[in-house]
Amino acid sequence: MRVLLKMNNLQEYLAGLLDDPCNEVVEQAVAYGMIPLGYTCSLIPEPVLSAGRLFPLRLRAPGVSGTETADIYLSSVICSYTRSLLELALDSKYDFLKGWVFAASCDHLRRLYDNLGYLNKPEFSFILDVPHKNNEAAMEWLELELEKLRTALSSHFNIDMSDEVISTSIKENNIMLAELRSIGDMRKEAMPLFTGTEFHRLMMALQAAPRKLLSDIPGRFRDAALKRGGAGKFRARFMIVGGELDDPAYTGVIESMGGRVVADRYCTGSFPGLEPISESGKPLAAIALYILEKNRCPRMMEEFDRRADYIINIAREYSADGIIIQTIKFCDTWGVESSLLVAALRDAGIPVLRLEREYRTGGEGQLRTRVQAFIESMKK
Amino acid sequence: MTKKYYAGCDIGSTTGKAVIIDDEGIVASAIIPREIDPEETARLSLSRVIEKVSGLDNISDVAYLVGTGYGRSEISFAQENVSEISCHALGAFFCNPAIKTIVDIGGQDVKGIAVNEDGSVLEFAMNDKCAAGTGRFFEAMSRIFRLELDDFSEISLKSKSPLSVTAQCSVFAETEVISLLAQKNLPADIAAGIQAAVAKRCFTLLKRVGIRPEVTVTGGCAKNRGLLKALEGILKEEITPLSVDPQLMGALGAAVYARRLAASLRV
Repeated sequence: MRVLLKMNNLQEYLAGLLDDPCNEVVEQAVAYGMIPLGYTCSLIPEPVLSAGRLFPLRLRAPGVSGTETADIYLSSVICSYTRSLLELALDSKYDFLKGWVFAASCDHLRRLYDNLGYLNKPEFSFILDVPHKNNEAAMEWLELELEKLRTALSSHFNIDMSDEVISTSIKENNIMLAELRSIGDMRKEAMPLFTGTEFHRLMMALQAAPRKLLSDIPGRFRDAALKRGGAGKFRARFMIVGGELDDPAYTGVIESMGGRVVADRYCTGSFPGLEPISESGKPLAAIALYILEKNRCPRMMEEFDRRADYIINIAREYSADGIIIQTIKFCDTWGVESSLLVAALRDAGIPVLRLEREYRTGGEGQLRTRVQAFIESMKK
Repeated sequence: MTKKYYAGCDIGSTTGKAVIIDDEGIVASAIIPREIDPEETARLSLSRVIEKVSGLDNISDVAYLVGTGYGRSEISFAQENVSEISCHALGAFFCNPAIKTIVDIGGQDVKGIAVNEDGSVLEFAMNDKCAAGTGRFFEAMSRIFRLELDDFSEISLKSKSPLSVTAQCSVFAETEVISLLAQKNLPADIAAGIQAAVAKRCFTLLKRVGIRPEVTVTGGCAKNRGLLKALEGILKEEITPLSVDPQLMGALGAAVYARRLAASLRV
């Protein structure tokens, strides 16, 4: 690996990992005999997909320029994230994957699962059914679902997925999460040592390549940030909230107008993504509990107040001056949630900017104007 | 003591606007068609306005310059840039402090702006990546009628029975309007239907920020009387006219920001 002592060099390396679904580290892992599995939702437990020789890749659609082929198969109200994934799948960009694991988290991604099934059937495909409520029956159901996933993976790939193996995977995963959490906590400082874009790139790279082969990266990131000693001036501290956001360039546009993203609560972000899974008890039960208790996805019923309080508390803890809610057009889950959230956050005295966008970062001029006007309206 | 002048320069998608103010009020203004390079548009519009002010020979004679509009960040010789949303709010507030709600209809976008008691922005909403209801939309529509924009606006006022134009997309609206003309419908009724469709779109945007009187319209399309009439109809209240050309509102707001910023530097 190149010498990555300076933040600029490290960022360049991380950005390179995000240019293509199959980057150099993935290729290296495959050459070592590791098995790449794609997944599309935070409800999929990474430790299960990291057992033994398996490794998970959060599916993104870098470089997608249009979705003309996917549009033939998907209805016009399916979100552009789903559309972009199908487009690249039909372009054979994910053919290196040995399997796809979905969650029945939204109708859009379920349609992706269906369409892949008859257009470009993966070698292995599994959809995890996740309850909408958090209660005893839901817990029991989810444990059974996870058991089915374990059995399917174990028999298809001929891999030991015993409780011991999954427990080890949880432990290893928690170590990485703890390290990332402690870096994320550095954003509480009055003058954070790194930008939100740099942190976003770190988070995404670690979801786009096997973490086992990048275990030194968080440490290098921290060292480079400390060595640099500062990330420049800004006018306002922001928290970004919403669904899928896997392009650091979007955070970059926000920060180019004087914002500094100090906290994030979106599907691929650090909240609640970096919360640990319990290492005690049966591992699948611990994972089920984590999904139902910690994930805080808006698809869960009867938990809006808890989710809003979670966001408000983080915004205060990280001294965010304002919150930017970004949602992909036609995302039902976050579309409904964000309408309620705007009111709840404003009631809590937090300025809010709500942005609807397409999956691919575009319309930068309008985004810049909106963010600049938001900062000005806060008199920053 | 030498008299001080402050300038605002609004580089929009179709025109460049410049306003010079002093400590009393507006001194001069200029509107020019846009050049390809935003910085060149800024330079030309400022040169045009500077020519009108005795005592000013070039841009550097201005005490403070603020750029705004889509090309704001390209004006390298401006001391500051401020978003057009804040500038339209402050410009309208400068003209009439009673203004609380603004529809800014520019060449390539439409914005609804709620204004604070001090002229700052309380809330705003913008149209999304679509030319419907913008200056470009009206240009395309008037071309179908083979009319200048002013004439298009005037014929819409003569309609007694506006037709319903349902398409929001500029391209589909063009097709729909051509069909309506082919069916021998009165151009006045079609034009009024177009104005009503755009007014409804503006109304929806305003609902998102909250409608509080007094309401005004800024941007180049504020000169479209047919649109103002349609908007008054849907709002059920009068649009407050501004004392200054509404197309200059962004540049005026930028000039007022320039004066404020210059004053804060003096303190």
